[in-house]
Amino acid sequence: MIQHHPDNNMLLEYASGSLNWAHSLVVSAHLQLCPKCAAQLKLLNSIGGALLESAVPPANHTDDTESAFSRLMGRIDTNENVVDRVVEDAKNPSPSREPVFSSLPPVVKKLMQRNPVLKWRRLSKGLREARLKTGQSRHEVAFHRIAPGNKVAEHDHRGKEITMVLYGSFSDADGVYSRGDFLVREPGEVHRPTATLDQECLCLSVVEAPVALTGFLGKLVNPFLSIKPQ
Amino acid sequence: MQSSPQTRDDEWSTLLVKVGVSRDRVAFEKLFNHFAPLIKGFQFSRGGQSSAPEAADELVQEVMFRVWRKAPSFDPTVSSASTWVFTIMRNCRIDALRRNSRQPDTDDSLEVDDIWDERFDNQPLVYLQQSRVQITVEAGLSSLPPEQSHVIEKAYMEGKSHSEISAELGLPLGTVKSRVRLALKKLQSTLVR
Repeated sequence: MIQHHPDNNMLLEYASGSLNWAHSLVVSAHLQLCPKCAAQLKLLNSIGGALLESAVPPANHTDDTESAFSRLMGRIDTNENVVDRVVEDAKNPSPSREPVFSSLPPVVKKLMQRNPVLKWRRLSKGLREARLKTGQSRHEVAFHRIAPGNKVAEHDHRGKEITMVLYGSFSDADGVYSRGDFLVREPGEVHRPTATLDQECLCLSVVEAPVALTGFLGKLVNPFLSIKPQ
Repeated sequence: MQSSPQTRDDEWSTLLVKVGVSRDRVAFEKLFNHFAPLIKGFQFSRGGQSSAPEAADELVQEVMFRVWRKAPSFDPTVSSASTWVFTIMRNCRIDALRRNSRQPDTDDSLEVDDIWDERFDNQPLVYLQQSRVQITVEAGLSSLPPEQSHVIEKAYMEGKSHSEISAELGLPLGTVKSRVRLALKKLQSTLVR
């Protein structure tokens, strides 16, 4: 049961198209796992439909409708045999058969197809990271894997961080987070995630700016220290 | 003869299905004549430099091109015709913004339709007449207090984020957020009734 969701404000920005690319990607992954938020998205989309239906056509519009329509049909006729680009799954097999990647939401599967080789870096004991190319440079997007029972060094955030659990679960002082849970950490919040004992945890995360450590040994083990927008 | 808004929306859905199933060009022209001026009206409300008439004409061409292509995947039990066209228009706008900002490595990365994927549906099969939902939302929007409908329109029609709206209206971000939340609460309550 998913307990943590993006708020209505973020969902509305996603539905209206103003939410940035990287955040939209995680929201999309959440929506594909969360029927409750997907139902809310339907309402938000229908607001767009209602506003479109009641839009007032401009008085001075230039293109006359008939010639615009024949122009469009011309384009349609020349493109009729062009098939949309399809990424063939067979040619891009899932890069891993490991259980953590076994049931990813479609948008994350696509993300992995576009990142066929994941370069895992060990950030600290039991914590690994693989950065992902997403076609934007404002945010750092990455997979994080926490080994069973492993504690991540306490850290706080200079920039907003969004984390979504894709497999397994982890906990911090505030609660337990499982598959589909969507967490937003505002700058300045301190936390220390721990993976649950029985299984590995895979998360998709998006960070805005480098993250600072607060712990004594922090600098040595700061998993996020090297994160900077590419 | 004046038809009710709901039968009108049902009509657009029926036409869209015809376009999808049998590539019906007469049906498509009716849809074009209905939606082209609305797309322009929606786009014009953005104001500023993006409201050049040529840009609106191009948007119409692009949106309706995609409507033709995607029509086979339109499902009237999942969304109303105007909501479906809205999502296509939204994705076109995001595409255009991305092309203008010349992001690096966009070629091999995700596409707009991957992230805003309206074909994906994980809803339990509950029969809801989508055209009715549409009409209820339209009525709900027109009964919102002006300060709430204003931020909703800015978000959708002008494509502005909450922080852009807050800067433009000189309102604290928290105020914009709470107006949006209140508006959604009202719209939701009209739907469950």
